[in-house]
Amino acid sequence: MERFTVKAIRNMLAEKQISAAEVFDLYSSRIADHDRSFNAFITTDIEPDVAYIADHNRQSSSSGSELKGIPYAAKDIFCTQGIRTTCGSRMLENFIPPYDATVVRKLKQQGAVLLGKTNMDEFAMGSSNETSYFGPVNNPWDIERTPGGSSGGSAAAVAAGLAPIALGTDTGGSIRQPAAFTGITGLKPTYGRCSRYGMVAFASSLDQAGILALSAEDTAIFLEFMAGFDPLDSTSVEESVPQYSQYLEENIKGKVIGLPKEFFDGSLASPYEALVAASIDSYKKLGVVFKEISLPNIGYSVPTYYVVAPAECSSNLARYDGVRFGYRSENIEDLDQFYRTNRQIGFGQEVKRRIITGTYVLSAGYYDAYYLKAQKVRQLINQDFERAFESVDIILGPTTQTAAFKLGEKVDDPVSMYMNDIYTISSNLAGLPAISHPIGFFEGLPYGLQLIAPHFKELDLLNLTHQYQKETDWHQIMPKISMSKESNN
Amino acid sequence: MHWETVIGLEIHVQLACDSKIFSSASTAYGKEQNTQASLIDLGYPGVLPVLNKEAVMMAIKFGLAVDAEIAETSIFARKNYFYPDLPKGYQISQYELPIVSNGQLFITLDNGTEKRIGITRAHLEEDAGKSIHDKFSDASAIDLNRAGTPLLEIVSEPELSSAKEAILYMQKIHQLVRYLKISDGNMQEGSFRCDANVSLKPKDNNELGTRAEIKNINSFRFIESAINFEVDRQKEILEQGDSVAQETRLYDSDLKETRSMRTKEEANDYRYFPDPDLLPVKISEGIIEKIASSLPELFDQKVDRYVSTLSIKGVDAIEIAKNIELAEYFEDALNTYNGNPQLLANWMLTEVMAILNKDKIGIANLSITAQSISQLTQRIDDGTISSTIAKNIFNQLVESNMSVDELIKDQGLEQISDTNEIEQIILTVLNENQEQKDQYLAGKEQVLGFLIGKVMQKTQGKANPKLVNDLMVKVLSNN
Amino acid sequence: MAITKSDIEHLCGLSKLNLDDEEIPIYLQQMTDILKMIEQLQSANTDEIIPMAHPLDMHQRLREDIVIDTNDRDVYQKNSLNSEEGFYKVPKVIE
Repeated sequence: MERFTVKAIRNMLAEKQISAAEVFDLYSSRIADHDRSFNAFITTDIEPDVAYIADHNRQSSSSGSELKGIPYAAKDIFCTQGIRTTCGSRMLENFIPPYDATVVRKLKQQGAVLLGKTNMDEFAMGSSNETSYFGPVNNPWDIERTPGGSSGGSAAAVAAGLAPIALGTDTGGSIRQPAAFTGITGLKPTYGRCSRYGMVAFASSLDQAGILALSAEDTAIFLEFMAGFDPLDSTSVEESVPQYSQYLEENIKGKVIGLPKEFFDGSLASPYEALVAASIDSYKKLGVVFKEISLPNIGYSVPTYYVVAPAECSSNLARYDGVRFGYRSENIEDLDQFYRTNRQIGFGQEVKRRIITGTYVLSAGYYDAYYLKAQKVRQLINQDFERAFESVDIILGPTTQTAAFKLGEKVDDPVSMYMNDIYTISSNLAGLPAISHPIGFFEGLPYGLQLIAPHFKELDLLNLTHQYQKETDWHQIMPKISMSKESNN
Repeated sequence: MHWETVIGLEIHVQLACDSKIFSSASTAYGKEQNTQASLIDLGYPGVLPVLNKEAVMMAIKFGLAVDAEIAETSIFARKNYFYPDLPKGYQISQYELPIVSNGQLFITLDNGTEKRIGITRAHLEEDAGKSIHDKFSDASAIDLNRAGTPLLEIVSEPELSSAKEAILYMQKIHQLVRYLKISDGNMQEGSFRCDANVSLKPKDNNELGTRAEIKNINSFRFIESAINFEVDRQKEILEQGDSVAQETRLYDSDLKETRSMRTKEEANDYRYFPDPDLLPVKISEGIIEKIASSLPELFDQKVDRYVSTLSIKGVDAIEIAKNIELAEYFEDALNTYNGNPQLLANWMLTEVMAILNKDKIGIANLSITAQSISQLTQRIDDGTISSTIAKNIFNQLVESNMSVDELIKDQGLEQISDTNEIEQIILTVLNENQEQKDQYLAGKEQVLGFLIGKVMQKTQGKANPKLVNDLMVKVLSNN
Repeated sequence: MAITKSDIEHLCGLSKLNLDDEEIPIYLQQMTDILKMIEQLQSANTDEIIPMAHPLDMHQRLREDIVIDTNDRDVYQKNSLNSEEGFYKVPKVIE
């Protein structure tokens, strides 16, 4: 089995080597044949009418249909009109949104074709895709391991060649960490770059829609059409969208990359340290200059995040009460019990844990010490980055502490699970764009590197990553996909 | 023990925006249930709020009209609690940084003195939906049409000392929001709702007592009896040496009493925090100035203008200006009027008000146009018709499509002002009523009215009454 | 700042969650661990720092007051398992 990039598919379609319907069928069959090993998808029976229309409209190559016939998968957190959207939760098991998320609508307008909705940690809360009501996702590199989370399904689908590209969301690392665990490229854009309208909210000031792809090139192609101002989202930014694919060949010689000493404090195990060092060498060969910097408050990222995100989510999830949609128990006469039972049954443990945590940090007597304090520390972290970017163009660090861990290893220890996000969380707190790309393997498992840029400098991230990917082939190595035993997911 | 009453009012005003505060659904009243609730109002997964500009402008107008500070930066906050008419499980409101703060209003007490009432703050928030508990036997019915309607919550300082003062304050705010055209103030439809915080304290004691909040007051009548009942209730408790519970109470207009609501809601910790889906609202000096310069003339200014420029009596000016719609109708009529403004004012306050009261309609529903009233009083003023005839024409105007002048011409209603003609009729009347004529000449002056009446009868009311009077006296004295 | 069972119950009350009796001690332990981790924040020096609610220093855009009519009630109510005559139904609220 071969993995095709979006770029390759586009060329094949343009040269009529294959039709849009054939592309769609190819991927649909792969999903039908292989997804039982990974459980990457929650919903797949989607009518491919756009693909057939794309075939008919091949002649008119007017702009506004750049992604004609390109199939993609979407994390099941994006509302898709008429197509079930579950957020990996029993609460929304049968929810069919009457509208499309803005980013989905934009891709539809360009002719992209939805293959399916991918599995995810419930309501995007998790780092291993083990909190999904629809069962965990298995990492295509080792099905006993997690693909990461919360966009685990999207990552596994792309890594396994079941979709050429997929949408994900990143609130504390939920695109980058799964990308690192599955050996693919994952981008979290600047906060406000892509619309959040129709993207079910977890932590409103941190959530951002992003891309999991086989390369920076593919990421650039999709980002061009996903990004942009949306009047329906008050946090959406009126910043013009560059044609990212035009910037991939920019000269990176002389670019300055900062290495935060807090990221390189010796706590990374030596195999991973070696991989990072090797990638730094590769960048040096491309003419990049490195500099040590300090982000003194970065150590507070995880506690800050685990105050802010639960607080916002505890409020965002209050709407799930079974009244207008969502899980609803029958035969309960007391309103209070009605709410409580619906939410007890509809939500899983991690969601409940975060709601309780969030309620706690916002409650009377604790607001100042926790929520307000966390928002101040967030400012400190933001200021650290601002200072750093005065002397460097990009910041580099690991994406994760290790390669993918085993399923079940951390489910009973939430704090240990939370520590997974240690390198990624700070960019969400500061709203900065960040990318993870593969840089090698340890014991057969992929490992990723992270680049962080100033606000709206996605083009630098894509540019650097693309140049790296021209000189290396880590991103092209595919896991072996066999007709494995039926997994009981 | 002498107890002083301390009252603070929280007034929720529905702003007259066409669309909701955070969505583009309509705010029109009285539509079929749930037909005006968009996905945003319903709190669907993934939806987001976007702030209505008009709501902000209206809040600023209010703030300026009460001499308040307009916040350069104000923040929307989430008030978190569960209730079926609150779809998101939180209300978007304002907490620490409201858009308006530190305003004031003056009420005129019975003894004529003015009392300043501080307005602590006014903030924007969204309205909740409606719950109907008696529609289904086994369930409560929820209608979310109202969810998301823009509200301005106006909070007074606890500086009102009696139910009477509370009413005056409430009336002043009511009048103000209608003047500013930021709300129709329709209490029956729920566009103007009042909660009262009532407590008692011993005289000369500065510490405020525990207050009870009375909700569900939707008319001026009720607020007086609600507050009075509450004051008596609290007095009784305190005089027994017990303490008043801090709680929410509902006013029952049938039993005329307040009773405690289930106290569950009191246990609520609303966990206010800034809404992360909305950004800080920045209001520039420029915007404030622009709005300030376009503020309409307010009540006090209008009364002053009527008195000083139009020479209308003070009490009449107040009566007309009290109701902005009446005042606008009046001013509309004045535009085409060249006569004595007091005459027009009289007409507004007697005949026009009489019809509005009789038919129980507002001036917007009066079928007589301001132009017609203007023309009518013009014709009285210029002597074309008498006021008696004018009343006749007025009643016809309700149904008729014809103009005043057309009616006058069509029915030959012009006043008879020809002295010769009148004298002739007078002579005829005197001839026909010798007895009364003799009585008058013998000194019985009140008979004059009878004789004048006869002249008016003979002319079907068209004779100029003043002329008739003067000429009658003259003729009789020449006798 | 040790969290107790009654704290958990209070928080469940505010957030309308039920926990089984067996679950409570597990949550209690996990919440204790989480709160211990969060405590690290207290050592940060945040004097004179303004809290950050948004990553970008933007202000709220205002929308024109124009109605966009979307009466899709029947479409929306397909999602509600219990609506009647256009109303949403909930267990009776006693006021």
